[in-house]
Amino acid sequence: MGLGLRWYHFALWAGFILVMALMPEFVSKGTLRTMIFANFLAIFAISWDVLSGRTGYISFGHPFLIGIGAYTTAILTKRFDVPVEYAIPAAIAMTMVGGTIMFLPALRIKGSYFALVSLAFMELIYQLVQVIRPDLTGGTRGMSGIVTLTRGAANGYYLSFSLMIIVALSMWLLMRTRLGTALSAIAMNEESVKGSGLSPTKLKLFAFMTSAFVAGLGGAFYVHYLGSIAPRALFDINFVFTIIVATLIGGASTIVGPMFGAFFLTFLLEYLRPFLPGAERYLIYGAIALLLYMYQPKGLYHIFMSQLDRFKKKGDDD
Amino acid sequence: MTKPLSIRNLVKNFGGLTATDDISFDLNEGQSTGLIGPNGAGKTTIFSQIMGEYRQTSGTIELNGTEISKLSTPARIRLGVSRTYQVPRPFAEFTVLENVRVGLMPDSIWKMITESPNVDREIELALSVGFSESDLRRTPDELSMGDLRKLEMARTMATNPRIMLLDEVFAGLTVGEIDQIAKLIQKMRSENMTFLIVSHDLKALEPLVDDAIAINYGKVIAQGSFASVISDKAVRTSYLGT
Amino acid sequence: MLEIIIQGVLLSGLYALIAVGFTLIFSVGRVLNLAYGAYIMVAGYIYFYFSQLLGLPPIAGLLLAGILGACMGLLKYNLIVKPLKADHIAVEISTLILAVVLQSAVILCFGNSAKILLPIIPGVIHIGNATVTYNVLVATIASWLILIGLYLFIKRTHVGRAMMAVSMDTKGASISGVDIDKINMITWGISGFLGAIAGVFFASYTQLSPTMWVAPLIIAIAIVIVGGIGSIIGTLVVAHIIGFMEIISVALISPQLRGVFTMLLIILVLVIRPKGLFGREEL
Repeated sequence: MGLGLRWYHFALWAGFILVMALMPEFVSKGTLRTMIFANFLAIFAISWDVLSGRTGYISFGHPFLIGIGAYTTAILTKRFDVPVEYAIPAAIAMTMVGGTIMFLPALRIKGSYFALVSLAFMELIYQLVQVIRPDLTGGTRGMSGIVTLTRGAANGYYLSFSLMIIVALSMWLLMRTRLGTALSAIAMNEESVKGSGLSPTKLKLFAFMTSAFVAGLGGAFYVHYLGSIAPRALFDINFVFTIIVATLIGGASTIVGPMFGAFFLTFLLEYLRPFLPGAERYLIYGAIALLLYMYQPKGLYHIFMSQLDRFKKKGDDD
Repeated sequence: MTKPLSIRNLVKNFGGLTATDDISFDLNEGQSTGLIGPNGAGKTTIFSQIMGEYRQTSGTIELNGTEISKLSTPARIRLGVSRTYQVPRPFAEFTVLENVRVGLMPDSIWKMITESPNVDREIELALSVGFSESDLRRTPDELSMGDLRKLEMARTMATNPRIMLLDEVFAGLTVGEIDQIAKLIQKMRSENMTFLIVSHDLKALEPLVDDAIAINYGKVIAQGSFASVISDKAVRTSYLGT
Repeated sequence: MLEIIIQGVLLSGLYALIAVGFTLIFSVGRVLNLAYGAYIMVAGYIYFYFSQLLGLPPIAGLLLAGILGACMGLLKYNLIVKPLKADHIAVEISTLILAVVLQSAVILCFGNSAKILLPIIPGVIHIGNATVTYNVLVATIASWLILIGLYLFIKRTHVGRAMMAVSMDTKGASISGVDIDKINMITWGISGFLGAIAGVFFASYTQLSPTMWVAPLIIAIAIVIVGGIGSIIGTLVVAHIIGFMEIISVALISPQLRGVFTMLLIILVLVIRPKGLFGREEL
């Protein structure tokens, strides 16, 4: 597969998993709950990264996909008493259908227009769930009393972390193959990709499908963690913003970047909560994000790696 | 025997401008043809139509006997035709090796995931066009124009074509670099590669081609051996402008 | 029926004004300004602050909002867009972040709840059996005046024509001696001004809230996509199409489906004619 794995990759991942698995022993319930959110945000950020971070087709409507996964499983389990084992795969399948729908405009239009359209998709679904069959979707208020899969902070943490680490590892490995190279090439020069004998259409479809798969997975499990669904919070530009900034701060297209970015962000927001309880936190957080992004659009991952390179070079010189 | 490339009555109109005016020619297997003409004559437009970047207004293009007008650019490349571009378009954030890697990839997602890159082949291609070992990990912003042209060449070769369309592949190269690329082309000719080469540098072009086609205002004005074409009166006029 | 036509005309005028500022940036600057909606919101609040909290006359509030909008546009261009230059993705994302930052700033200053703006001009007029507030009427008339003024500006003045030139072909324009930077600055300034005025009118039409910037942004997007870029007339026409579609769907089908048909129209146009109805170029 040409993954180029070295011993330190294994060591770092193993170490990370070990530390995270032992977390419930060391931290309070409150912190655990925060980490659960961070895990889910990481899943959403990674799913965004696979598509937008890699191919450069920036989507400002990612909650469209997450929402399809969330609503499908919510409706199936609550309204039709479908068991969770079937509802979640169905939700993922539906999300992939949604991903295909979202992919269609990407065939014809580029860059900025796609970003706009994706925003329109999110607005569309926001309005539709409130208006079409509110008896099923719960309308403007959403739904509550949805079956939850775990009880207690520790169990919720283990489930969310397991999901997150499986997603992160598989996406990380996938992007290290030539597929990842091809997807990045699309972002750099789509015409040149064609000129290299590769069909960007196939590649983009795959990226959309994969992104949708993970988004649907995350959305479905998230709903079964919260036990409720609220369209106003879900289809909200702030949510888009959170996902995108988590990815960018961490480092777009790196998979690991979005993962750490999600944690960084979640904890930053939590830390600011006692000082700025309301949405004002987004002000600080947004300002930091903006400054960081303008200074280094490639994110913390890149800053970290280039420092490491410099450190290595120094070592070579000695 | 089907010819690698066969063009019949190719016409391309851009609004009121006729860029390609009823052009027909063939390439035989292993043949190397020079495509010459002044700036704006329509040489690059012909390349673009062969590759499918522009759809011709009318006329047929056959690759090894197959009409390719309905095929996408990547599909045509997979059928064996590939080109370089006058303005190089490398992948800006990839190294030389990674740039070549994209060209070497099969158009199958499954294979992309399961098979590793063939780094030996990447290195082989990069070195064959004249890169040195230390260049291999450079990125396009660190390369000279000459290097970028070499990269174009390597990427085109990576797609394993049977017909290569070279568009001003010598422009901006030093004498030594031209020599290297010329040797490479000669080697490929001896391995039966079919070439259609556009170049302003007639001196460099001459030893590389079997014959030539001269174009002006989208029309063929002379065709035949290289010597006869460049001594053709109409051709000389088109270059000198009287 | 008359009611529908009147409401349609009124709404469309407003939508056209909202869209024009956005389209200008996109066609001249080739940049997607996602914080455009934020101009609208901030301007609404500024007007609110000056006219309702401080008690200045509405015209003053309006002008102040407009000027501040222009300043915002200039600042944004100089601080964010210019440094990021050709990296379109970076500009899109930065403007998104900026929009959210502005939203939070507004919440910080004015609180989270929605506010009703007092009408700029109180009173109503009756046309047929339709009741129209002077407020909205003035907004529509003002929108038309501004749009006509803008159209003349683009077609008749040197600067305006330079802007058109840049929107058609930046390289060509700069070779012809146009100062691209200056034109961009002027465009961003005008866009900010227009957005601000539109914002005050829009806020008086609906209500003032920190999240109010998304809806007009979507409308501007819809008009840009359906209408295509490069034509003010196109923007006007499409604004009316969308405005009437909304009014008709609210009146005849269901108020909740207001925006849905607009979205579907976007998707339809993208599939059938990506250039937009009046667009000059491929995307």
